[in-house]
Amino acid sequence: MSSVLVSHKTELPPGRSGLGLPRPDRFTGWRDWFTTVDHKKIGVMYGAAACFFFLVGGVEALMIRTQLMRPMQHIITAQLYNQLFTMHGTTMIFLGVMPLSAAFFNFVVPLQIGARDVAFPRLNAFSLWTFFAGAILLNASWFLQFLNIIHVLTPADGRTDIVPGGGWFGYATLTEKPYTGIGTDVWILSLQILGVASLAAAFNFITTIINLRAPGMAMMRLPVFTWMTLVTSFLIIFAFPAITIALAELLFDRTFDTNFFRVQGGGQPIFWQHLFWIFGHPEVYILVLPAMGIVSEVLPTFSRKPLFGYPIIVFSGAVIGLLGFAVWSHHMFATGLGKVATAAFSLLTMAIAVPTGVKIFNWIGTLWGGRIRFTVPMVFSMAFVWMFMLGGFSGIMHSAAPADAEQHDSYFIVAHFHYVLLGGVLLGLLSGIYYWVPKIFGKMMNQKLGYWVAGLVIVGFNVAFFPMHYLGLIGMTRRTYTYLPDKGWNLWNFVSTMGAYMLGVGVFLCFMDMVITVRSKKRACGPDPWDARTLEWSLPSPVPDYNFARLPIVSCRDAWWMQKHNNIPIEYDQSDVSHGVHMPSQSWMPMGAGIGFFIFGMGIVLMSAGVPYCGYVAIGGLSTTVVFIYLWAIEGPGGYHLAVPTVATPPAPTAAPTRVPAPVGHH
Amino acid sequence: MSADAHALSHAELLEQENQRYHAFINLALFLSVFTGVEIVVIFLPFPSWALMGTLVTLSIVKFFCVIFWFMHLIYDAPLLTILFIAGLLLAAGTMIALLGLMQHDDVDPAILHESMAPPSRVMHDTAVV
Amino acid sequence: MSATAALAHDSSGPAEAHAAHPPTATGIETKKVLMWLFLASDCMFFGTLISTHLVYRKVYPYGSTDKGIIDILSTFDIQLTSFSTFILLMSSFLMALAVSAMHKGQIKSFRRSCIGVIIFGLIFLTGQVYEFTHFFDGHALYTFSVKTAAGEVISSTYEGPADPARAKADLAHRLLAAHPDWLSVPAAAAAEDKALAPAEQVKKHGDWIVTAFKQEKVEKKSLSMQNSVFGSTFFLMTGTHGTHVAIGVLWLVSMYLYSFTGRFEKNMHGAAIDVEIMGLYWHFVDIVWIIIFTAVYLVEYIPGYNPAP
Repeated sequence: MSSVLVSHKTELPPGRSGLGLPRPDRFTGWRDWFTTVDHKKIGVMYGAAACFFFLVGGVEALMIRTQLMRPMQHIITAQLYNQLFTMHGTTMIFLGVMPLSAAFFNFVVPLQIGARDVAFPRLNAFSLWTFFAGAILLNASWFLQFLNIIHVLTPADGRTDIVPGGGWFGYATLTEKPYTGIGTDVWILSLQILGVASLAAAFNFITTIINLRAPGMAMMRLPVFTWMTLVTSFLIIFAFPAITIALAELLFDRTFDTNFFRVQGGGQPIFWQHLFWIFGHPEVYILVLPAMGIVSEVLPTFSRKPLFGYPIIVFSGAVIGLLGFAVWSHHMFATGLGKVATAAFSLLTMAIAVPTGVKIFNWIGTLWGGRIRFTVPMVFSMAFVWMFMLGGFSGIMHSAAPADAEQHDSYFIVAHFHYVLLGGVLLGLLSGIYYWVPKIFGKMMNQKLGYWVAGLVIVGFNVAFFPMHYLGLIGMTRRTYTYLPDKGWNLWNFVSTMGAYMLGVGVFLCFMDMVITVRSKKRACGPDPWDARTLEWSLPSPVPDYNFARLPIVSCRDAWWMQKHNNIPIEYDQSDVSHGVHMPSQSWMPMGAGIGFFIFGMGIVLMSAGVPYCGYVAIGGLSTTVVFIYLWAIEGPGGYHLAVPTVATPPAPTAAPTRVPAPVGHH
Repeated sequence: MSADAHALSHAELLEQENQRYHAFINLALFLSVFTGVEIVVIFLPFPSWALMGTLVTLSIVKFFCVIFWFMHLIYDAPLLTILFIAGLLLAAGTMIALLGLMQHDDVDPAILHESMAPPSRVMHDTAVV
Repeated sequence: MSATAALAHDSSGPAEAHAAHPPTATGIETKKVLMWLFLASDCMFFGTLISTHLVYRKVYPYGSTDKGIIDILSTFDIQLTSFSTFILLMSSFLMALAVSAMHKGQIKSFRRSCIGVIIFGLIFLTGQVYEFTHFFDGHALYTFSVKTAAGEVISSTYEGPADPARAKADLAHRLLAAHPDWLSVPAAAAAEDKALAPAEQVKKHGDWIVTAFKQEKVEKKSLSMQNSVFGSTFFLMTGTHGTHVAIGVLWLVSMYLYSFTGRFEKNMHGAAIDVEIMGLYWHFVDIVWIIIFTAVYLVEYIPGYNPAP
């Protein structure tokens, strides 16, 4: 480890790791990005990938909606339709929402707790690269399908569904070998790889939040976003094992003819449903809790009031997480569970509405009596509260099993989950984007365009999905690629498609604005354009590599706000920083391990397709991962010292360029 | 733990480890005995519920002995115990729920026997693309 | 201890020790928190596997839809499994000693205990592999006759796998390995065979040599992943456990070799923590086996649990 003190890492002399190989610390450019262990850069990469895959999933959705715009259209074949809704669901959940949440966890959480990085920086990088491996593997199936269309790749079983087409939930028996092609293998392997990435990240964040808090940062002083990150990470580590095993069992059924779900051998397909939803239900809370955390940050900031009922919001979040494990069979009300099971799951599902409702009331309580500023993030967050509530209402309607018997597999369900996912999760994440981009890049997004985006997204998604409640109740079934013209569904399908396009335009404009903002030389903002409450806003924008020059000693909740407005200055650790701050070394090994996973997945998929020698490719891929993990262990954490400015207190917040004047009222 | 380790002198640390060493030997003996009892008892003419109860109890005792002593949980901060027990309870709860859900007491025995018989009709494996 | 005094510790010790050992918010070592979280998650992992096995056991009292295809009690070898269980428990004990040695700073003692754990782990794995191959093969008694090239007919018995097709092929191989001159085929076929390799010839003509092949008694039915639900769940669950043990053994071997590089002495405290978390993993693997041994093997012997086929 270098004990040389430098003021910028490019000044480092070439150092060697425990392996005798040079450490990549002093590079900039693509080598810096590939080897980085800095949580901020990793967060940016997660966010960029997430936005890209959001657009991919959005295109898939628009193709679905275009097909359904009119009855009896054949723009898309039935098989392609199945593949589109499968990929849309899988992409949006695993490659869109989860990495965007991960981007915020990565960037924001260490700053909010007063830490310099996460607990295991290289493990963090490993999560990122493994995520890329899984994401690319899943979408490589489109490329393989193209190869199939031009007759370069013909799978051994003669099936042509190379892009997964079994639904994002992959129900057995459909996903068994006789009924779907290698698309299911692609789906299984990419989900397994993505699962490894999520698990590693979750372990890292829990450890970080538990162990790396600044002095004085007690658990009940943590920002709510950090709390929600903690609960989400616990959900991940307890839910993903169930799907890992379910997927492994399905893979064994397909590859080795075992009998887990194969009826011929005595398997019970219903067991797949149980295992999948034991994962699947906590997964939807994994999706929504981070967005709730973001809203819990944004609403107090722009109401200029502390969050109403902080302890109860934290507790409700934890209760939602815990109860989320107890309600999975509400996805299976139509399978004949029996009286007792149906009643039990019905009641538990109704129970889970209680802590959610408590949160809604607390958010309203936060707004009440505040001096509200209708900034772009605030508009999104307020819309979240309302739209998520609507999604919750349809959810409660599902919880009554007799009602669900009618709603199940109809568009009513599609309406419900899109309300909670779009009206809930997406609005929360967009709120987070507009709120934190100034911190991440030091530049404001185009606020005027932001209001247009908010309008297009909110109106668009309501126009797209509200009619689906009606469509579902008059009998339109899910997952059908076209419909007869005399059912009375024509008008609202058309309207829904119009809404979908509006929504697509809105989201696209937002992402375009992000790209322009990042590349723009103008629109710089100070460290605290929103006059916010939590510690990350006390740092310069963009945040320096070492985060905090001196670690804060926290004495209360919303310490930054207290310093600015309530005259309680934050003390900073006064120990000697003349020998600089210790920074972890960068490394190629996590990326190598991720690439190994991709090779492994591709090998297995091509082996199933009958391409010769691919079994060896798969073994080679797994060996690559193992080798890189060994090298990672032996090279050691290393590290170098970065000089930090000796100014003890951060600069005062500058006024935001686009602040809406606060209405006159009592404080 | 890190704070404790610095607080103890080297001599005190050695003494602590030696005490634990004796605990480990005793525990190893107990575990062997319990396992032996389990293996012997299943062949003895006791009623099924008693045998099942004995096996479950002894397993749980062995499980917790290993966790608390070999894995040091009793010597460590309570947080670690809470983290592990949370995972354990979730797993156990899920298992119990699944066993309950996959009951078929509600099903008419005639239908059950029919569904459990080996399939008489051959399932066609040919694909309909 | 005030917060500032705790932080002042940062600048006092040598830079590397500080880097490896900054104060944590809870006082617990960060790597330890990570490992316990991983073990909690692994509980769900094995819990799902064991649930799968127990659920299917409940649904199918015979291990499959067909009565008699699995005779679980005759397949299991409780002596071997009990022996394996003891070995694993003792390896756990040795692991605790290894960790203790590292905390005391006694690297040589650590190495001795570590080798012990590795050996016991390997014995356990060998026992598992042996058990699995014997479950897979099963065991049956056959009578057969052999027609030699000279026209002699010899009758005998053969003990081999429970699957008749595999047993016959296996027998043909053994006989022809012992008596290569028996592979003399009718003249009409001889010309074709010149191009084939000996193994191919056995495959083609084994039937001609071994006649009157009859399965007399099945002592242990074969258990495979494919022939029953019990086989699928059993092998996946114990196979996953075995993989965990194998990874543990690899980790132990790596630590053992690493202890010779001199890097332990540079940072004894960090090394002790690393060994401790390895120990946690190994003990966890042991406690999972305790559960599997009871819930999968021992319960089968309780009267009434497993109706006779």
